[in-house]
This record gives sequence, C-alpha cells and structure tokens, in this order.
Amino acid sequence: MSLTRVHDAWAFRFVAMASPCELLVDTDDRAEADALGRIAQAEASRVEAAYSRYLPGNVVHRINHAGGAPVAVDDETALLIDYAAACHQMSGGRFDITSGALRRAWKFDGSSRVPTAAAIEAALAHVGWHRARWADHVLTLPAGMEIDFGGIGKEYAVDRAAGLIAGRTQHAFLVNFGGDLFAAGARVGDRPWAVGVDDPTRPGEASVYRIEIKRGGLATSGDARRFVLHEGKRLGHILDPRTGWPVEDAPSSVTVLAPTCMEAGTLSTLAYLEGPGARAFLEREGVTFWVL
Amino acid sequence: MRLQLTRPEPPSPIRARLRAAACLLLASSLPSAAHAEAGGTSSLDTSLLIYGERQRADVLEPTVRFTRLFASGQAFSAQVGYDVITGASPTGAVPSGAIQTTTSASGVTSSVAAGEVPTTTFHDKRLALDMDWRQPLGTVLTSTVGGHFSREKDYQSVGGSAKLALDVMHRQVTITAGAGINRDDVFPVGGTPQGLTDGTGPTDPARQAKNVTDGMLGITRVVSRRWLVSLSGTHTAESGYLTEPYKVVSQIDTTSGESVGQLTESRPGARTRNDVLGTSVYHLGEDVLHLSYRYYWDDWQLNSHTFDVKLRHDFNERTYWQPHVRYYTQTPAWFYTTGLVSVAPLPDFASADYRLGPLRTATLGATVGFHMGSAPGEWTVRGEYMRQSLKSPSQGEGGGEGGDDARKGASTSATAPTSAFNLQVPPLDIVSVVVGYSIQF
Amino acid sequence: MSRSVRGRAALVLLAATLAVATAGCATTVHPWDRDLLAQKRMQLVPSPMLHAVDQHVYFSKEGSTGGDDVGGGGCGCN
Repeated sequence: MSLTRVHDAWAFRFVAMASPCELLVDTDDRAEADALGRIAQAEASRVEAAYSRYLPGNVVHRINHAGGAPVAVDDETALLIDYAAACHQMSGGRFDITSGALRRAWKFDGSSRVPTAAAIEAALAHVGWHRARWADHVLTLPAGMEIDFGGIGKEYAVDRAAGLIAGRTQHAFLVNFGGDLFAAGARVGDRPWAVGVDDPTRPGEASVYRIEIKRGGLATSGDARRFVLHEGKRLGHILDPRTGWPVEDAPSSVTVLAPTCMEAGTLSTLAYLEGPGARAFLEREGVTFWVL
Repeated sequence: MRLQLTRPEPPSPIRARLRAAACLLLASSLPSAAHAEAGGTSSLDTSLLIYGERQRADVLEPTVRFTRLFASGQAFSAQVGYDVITGASPTGAVPSGAIQTTTSASGVTSSVAAGEVPTTTFHDKRLALDMDWRQPLGTVLTSTVGGHFSREKDYQSVGGSAKLALDVMHRQVTITAGAGINRDDVFPVGGTPQGLTDGTGPTDPARQAKNVTDGMLGITRVVSRRWLVSLSGTHTAESGYLTEPYKVVSQIDTTSGESVGQLTESRPGARTRNDVLGTSVYHLGEDVLHLSYRYYWDDWQLNSHTFDVKLRHDFNERTYWQPHVRYYTQTPAWFYTTGLVSVAPLPDFASADYRLGPLRTATLGATVGFHMGSAPGEWTVRGEYMRQSLKSPSQGEGGGEGGDDARKGASTSATAPTSAFNLQVPPLDIVSVVVGYSIQF
Repeated sequence: MSRSVRGRAALVLLAATLAVATAGCATTVHPWDRDLLAQKRMQLVPSPMLHAVDQHVYFSKEGSTGGDDVGGGGCGCN
C-alpha cells in the first residue's frame, strides 16, 4: 500500500479483489488519510474474503459445493442475495448471479476460440436463478450450479467502504476499487473530482472522457480487458445468461452515474447486455451515462 | 450525454426498484447523502387551520390530501377540505354617531353601538373537493388535468383545468401553459336582491351564474446548482354575477354626517384580471430563501403588489423553522366608496366592501417542522399574525383614481360613486394557526 | 400611475425576468449538481396543500387572485 499526495489530496492505494484500489481524501491531514485508507482497505479485504468464489471456506464456497443441499446464510449474505434476486427479476433474467457456470464453456483469452453449441447448451443447463430456491435465509442450488458475486462484489465493497468512511470524516473523499467508484461530496471550494474514462482500445493508458463528479457512484462495463475475437468482432466477457452467448454489437464501454456504486454497476451491466440498445435503455432510465 | 432531473418526476421502472433494492442492502452503511427520497409512493397530508379575526370571524378548516405516485410517472392526488366560518363580517355600512340597525338578505338583523363598524353575524360551512391527475407524455412533456367542486349554503363552484409542462435545455428550463374554466352559482339566502336598492324590494329566487376562464403561462429555470427562478403570468376573465349579495353601501347626509339609509351594493358584470408573479428559490448553503413578488391588475382599476419572503433554516434532518414576512398593498376598485352622498344621483356601481378598497395587509409568521420521536410522519405548526388596514386618503383612495385613463371593460358612461367622507377604521388583527401532519407510505 | 405606464412597467418586469430565466448557457447545471435542487424545501411550492390553504385565506381577505395556477374554485367569500 502507499500513501501519496495527488493534486492536493491524499491518495491511499492498495491492491484488493485483483484490482488497483485507492481512497482519495480531500484533506491536508496525513494521519487522517492514513486511518481512513486503512478502513477502506480493511473493508475491501473483508468483502473479498467473504464473497470471492476463489477463496475456500467462505459462504460462497459452501454454497457452490453444497451439491444440492440447502445452505443457511448470514444477514449480510441474505441481503446481497436479495439484491441479486431483485436485479434478476427487474432485468427480465439478464442479470443472473448463477451465470458463472458459463465460464466452463467460454475462455476469454483474446483468442478466437469459440465454444460449440453443444458446449454452451450443456453449460446453460446449470444456469438460471429461477432454478434456485431462496427463502428465509436458506439458499438451495441444484447440484452443478454455482453463484458468483463478481458482478456486484466490487461495487458493494465501494459503497460499504464509503459508508464507513463517511461516518468518520467531514472531508470529501472518493473510493475507487478497480474503476468502480463512489464520490462523497465536492472538494474544498466546491470543486469536483476529476475521473477519466478509459479508452477501450488502450486500456490503462489513456482516457477518452474526463468526468467531473461531486457526489454519486460511477461504474463501467465493457470489454476492454477480456474479450474474444470472433469473425472480426470483439465479443465481451459479459455473457447473456439467457442465450449463453456474449452480447452482439455491445458498446465498447458503458459508464453510468447513479446515487450509489451498486446501482451504477447494475445499470451499466444491464445496459451493456442490451447490446446496440444500450443507449436507448439508459435514456429510458433517465440516468447520466457515457457510451463508447 | 443526458442530464437527469432528480426532482420532482418519479424515477423510471428499473431505476426506482434498483434504488429501493440498493437502499435495503446498504441501509446502515449508506452515506446519508444517498438516502435521498427512497420513500414510499403514497403520501397523506392533513392540516387544520384555526383562524380568528379580532371581534370578527372565526374559521376552522380541516383539510386532507392524498397523493399517489406511479412508477410510470403518473400521479394522482385528491384533496378534501371542510370550512366552518362563524362570526361577524362587515356589511359595508359605515359606523356613525347613532345606533344603526342593519337588515341583511339572510334576514338577520343586528344592532350596532355608535362608532363600531356594523357587521352581520353568520355561520357557514363549505365543502371543497379537488382532484388531479398527472400524465407524462413522452420524455419531456407532462400533462396535468384537474377538477374542482365546492359547495356552501349559498354558493357552488364547479371547475376543471388542464396544464402542459415542457422540459427544454436539458431539463434546465420548464415551460408551463395551462387553462381553467369554472362555473359558479350564487344563490343567496332569501334570493338575490337588486343592486343599489334599499333591499326591501323583491328578490330574484333564481341562481345567479358566474363564469370564470383563466389561462396561465410560466417559465421555470434552474440558474445554478443552488438557484431556481420562475416567472408566470395569468389572465382571468370573469362574467356574470360578481356582486356580494349581503353587502350594503350607506347613504350619508353630508350636512349632519349621519347615515340616512343604505343600499345593496352593485358591481359590474365582468372583470378581467391579470398578474405576473416572479419567484426565486436560493440555497444559501445552510438555509433556503424563498422570495416572490406579484403584481396584479384588473379592469376594476384594482392593482396590487405582493412581497413574500420566507427563510427556511434546518436544525437537522428532522427539524426546521421558517420565518415568513408578507406585505400586500392594493389600490381600490373604481367603484369603491366609503359611503354615498345621499342627495347625489345614483352611480352605476358601488361597493363599500373594504376588500375592494385601498387595503394593506402585513403578515408576520413562522412555521416549525418536526418529527415526534421515532414515529413516522412530519408535523408542522405554523403561526401567522396579519394586520389589515385601509390606507389613508393621501395614499390614494377610491372614486377617481383612474380618471386619466379609459376604464378597460367599463362603458364610458358608467359613473363612479363619490365618497361622502374618508373612512377611519381601526386595523383588523388576524391570527391563524395551521397544524399539519404528513406521512409517506 | 396611469394604466398604460403600469402595463408597460409590468411588461418590462416580465422581459427582465424572462431574460434571467432564459439567459444563455452560461452555467450548465450538471446532473451531479442537482443534489440541492432535489431537496423538497427547494421546490417552488414545497407543500401544495398548505399553499392552497394560504391562497384561500388571502383570496377571501383581499381583492386579488392567487395567480400561479389555474382552475381553482371560487367561494362565496369575496
């Protein structure tokens, strides 16, 4: 981790959830920035430890290896599953935390290897939130199915960290975990935070947009880093759980501004899954967005 | 890039549900800024007005309003109000040195001791119903239609209105246009007396009609992050029976200064009203300042200025107070008179109703809003003190004010009443208290 | 003040405020800047019901009408 002065704010940086994370605090107080940064780091680590599907021993691991048996979950997990269930319902099935099983068919390594229809068919048999039974803090997944909070985990961690920090400081701050961020208040002198939206063709190297934000959550969905080249088209790594295929003609990247990072993330994912209809979808929803 | 309006339109289907789902999930950890208004879609507002004029009327008026927002952007609201008015209302007759007896169309007589403004007592109840429906038409147009019905012992009003609002310039500017129509019926107790007669003649048992049509045009602009301004104008055309059937005008013998009789008042059968209203809402960082100014003018030669200032200060998220000052001043209607010279020929129209006179109202009040412990819903208590006075003659009294202009709407042959004297009446003190309770669910 | 001067003054006031209201895109208010405007107390009419109660009281006691809305009802009070 590191603590550096950036544009007269303190930036506490660390790595979590396989992404570069940072907390920017609009203060001169180094000690305060350090203390708040540690809170952000602790929360990011906690959420990762609890909900990463790569770590053995957590609730997600238990659920994914229950082999069809019911699993009782704690309050926080229940709320997360409730959120995912609500998103599944309101998106008509496009948002589905059980869609991770499609990974068995698709490998997004930049190559042009595309799975066969049969392989996708087989993977789809284990996808579908409607197949799960969820009630009263007990989740029952049929054998072979798995859940993955990857689509909402980072945004959730951002909002949680922001909540914890907001309770401990009067200064404006910005939490950014791997590109999903939340800005809590304008900087001193009513100045906004400056956020750059990555150029999808040169990820990590250049910004194509400069967004000025004072308050709210920002999240981006796109195929910048993980994709498959198929028949000359880039197919993003976000798969439509209803078809098993990536979205055709999806925008390169969709960035959405919403009151919380979770809402921004969910809306950007849903917009992305609309493919060519992304812009129209976001216009109907009446949110601020940037589509590339 | 599309800019969003976070208020007052309700969010679209997914965004609203997403908001609610996120709030549930992040309930305890959300920074307070994001909580915003994720509340329910229905609300109930109730209020009770307790109003008293010193030595005059008292009013008790409970009102209930129900509003429901729908995810599609539609909204419905219904309001019921019930008014009970008791007390005394000035007849328009003048105070004098002798005891005077007043007869009124409602058959009640009252005796007045020397010097007091003659009044008549009354007791009236009024029921009012209002409903409206808001319907978005596409993304930038919103339409609202409304209906009104009210009924009291001697008056009925039925009306409807329609408004269209257009958002332009990335929703920074809203243009509103509206029109309304009302059909009122007046049926005074004992029938409608003939104007400018001594009131003993036959009365008209039929209902008197009054038709009102109005149109409005307004523009609202978000000037900056903390400043909203609005300008609107309305134009109203009234025709029909516009007279106050219970009010009278005294006839004064100018040599003795005594009242020798009284006549029923009479007002023209048409009135065209106009007004322009400018409003500013400015967020000072901690407090919010509401300023408004309205200029009104009509073809009865009555013009008025209204200044209104409110400053809202929030102590915390649940408690606020808002002091309020209002100043109103009007010039009299051309046919306003304090009393007719008994030997002069009868004018075409005359009224001694002080509300058409050179009136000034000053209001000072404050509202307090709070929540009771952890119970849901917000309480408001508002106390206001109003003082109404008639301006002295040097400040412009009635009778010849608009002499240098043609009177719009009135025939050039209409004669104005000549005031017999200048009226000195003590100002009227009014106190009103409104207790309100609002809840969302 | 004569009627025509009054009318002209009102028109000048109208024009002036219209100018403020539609003045060029000098400040664009971004969506993230609508946080204050979203507060209920920043609305032109924060409580329609209390506003209606007020309008009714002033309509009964004074000679002018409300002026910011259309179609409200009449009463035997003025």
